[in-house]
Amino acid sequence: MAIEISKVIQDWVPRGSKIVDFGCGDGTLLKKLIDEKDVQGYGVEINDKKILSCIEKNVPVIKLDIDLGLHDFEFSGFDMSIMARSIQCLKNPNIALEKMLKLSKTCVVTLPNLGYWRCRINLAVGKMPVTPDLPSSWYETENIHLCTIRDFENLCEEQSITIKEKFFIGPKNKKGIMSSTNPNFFATEGVYLLEKK
Amino acid sequence: MKIETNIFDFDEGIVLENGTKLSSFKLMVETYGELNESKSNGVLLCHAFSGNHHAAGKNADGLVGWWDQLVGPDKAIDTNKFFVVCCNNLGGCSGSSGPTEINPLSDEIYGKNFPQVSVEDWVNSQKMLSDRLGISKWHLVVGGSLGGMQALQWAISYPDFVNKAGILAAAAKSSTQNIAMNEVARESIRKDPNFCNGDYIKNNKRPKDGIKAARMLGHITYLSEKHMNLRFGRKYQEEGSKVSGNVDFEVENYLQYKGEKFSESFDANSYIIMTKAMDGYDIATDSKTLEKNMANIKASLLIIGFNSDWLYPPARGKEIQIAAINQNIKSSYIVLDGEQGHDSFLFHSEKYSKAIKNFIGS
Repeated sequence: MAIEISKVIQDWVPRGSKIVDFGCGDGTLLKKLIDEKDVQGYGVEINDKKILSCIEKNVPVIKLDIDLGLHDFEFSGFDMSIMARSIQCLKNPNIALEKMLKLSKTCVVTLPNLGYWRCRINLAVGKMPVTPDLPSSWYETENIHLCTIRDFENLCEEQSITIKEKFFIGPKNKKGIMSSTNPNFFATEGVYLLEKK
Repeated sequence: MKIETNIFDFDEGIVLENGTKLSSFKLMVETYGELNESKSNGVLLCHAFSGNHHAAGKNADGLVGWWDQLVGPDKAIDTNKFFVVCCNNLGGCSGSSGPTEINPLSDEIYGKNFPQVSVEDWVNSQKMLSDRLGISKWHLVVGGSLGGMQALQWAISYPDFVNKAGILAAAAKSSTQNIAMNEVARESIRKDPNFCNGDYIKNNKRPKDGIKAARMLGHITYLSEKHMNLRFGRKYQEEGSKVSGNVDFEVENYLQYKGEKFSESFDANSYIIMTKAMDGYDIATDSKTLEKNMANIKASLLIIGFNSDWLYPPARGKEIQIAAINQNIKSSYIVLDGEQGHDSFLFHSEKYSKAIKNFIGS
């Protein structure tokens, strides 16, 4: 995860809160949040190698398929759930959003933007987008539900989800004026803090 | 590796969960490695139903310990760094107070009169052992199957005395199917004519056939269908190596051999007591009860389940994990394939050993 994004998320996470990170990877973000913001954090991950790294870091982790496991945490009382660059890999991103906001008061979602201009050029010449941020070919990508910034914000609107904060980054994970003023065209990734209306 | 085997006498006795009192008792204890000066490197291993104090290395009879693949110098539980302790549980038949030992009050063999013990009783007696060893806090209490139940119970009963607990291929309660399997095993023991209603030692008999059949059933439940298929398939046992004339297939020969060997060493009354203790364990009548029981845990937990284990399937471990999360307990839950079914917790695999090693070191 880009340092900029990690910093923004750290700012949004309330000190001492209870959080769950869906698709926590090797636990780097959670480790930071546990050490620096004193959170009670749990990671959810499916990859064994990454899980072992979490355990090595003393980051609590659960092996679960997010597609199947979101309903397990109904009574866990999380303050915040995080899903960084994973929602586009799920079978039902809309249901996942709904469930995340049921199991936690707020949620942080980051997602790649298919509306980014380089993706549009790819499509304009008749090819599926392959960019530095979306490097996999169509036949091997895990991103089965890619969307644009506008699509995602429309979905939030439809599902009565309030976007409390948002943040965009452009190429090379840098925050720029272009990606902030016209994110749907210039941002490579969107970072959202969401709350149920 | 420094191995010591000793008997610890507890003349103060113990009041068991069911109210009966053992006026005194003894535990057969094996230790590996050395306790450091601050006494902070203690690791307690809790054995499963038919295990005993001999967990690692070779003993005087040349037998390799039940967890030798994971416990030893430079292994997942590194005896160069940790002082590892394992005791034969009360009611067992490897030197601790149990049905085959003398009742000091009557000077007779306990036999069927040894009281029913529970997982909680084992944990309480192990706590007395840790006091005796001067270990005020275990760095890790760990076990698989029935041993995992003890590790969990340690974290519940003595929250200030456990730093980490490893709960492997275990559950917060025995399932209906677990109880059913155990009852078939017990019935085969009881119906052995040599069982003599539990008084076989007095009558100079041994219900070997009953124990053997019980163990054969047990072995089927410890293995996975896939593993049995891979290992034995439908291969026929070679003529020269058959244990008896009744055997056709390799799998039959295997079960016959394993059952026979076990029946020579394990005590029938112990079998009944140990399985009854397993069946009786239930800290999770429902999910709310489990959470309530786990509320005071301070230890970090590592829960491991194996996909090939149908006796204590991974879902049982997940229940403990979700309850832990709901109670803000630091807890991790992983699932590994584990080729050997329920027995997978006994065997080294790269991921399994690494998980335990990382957990101890974290």
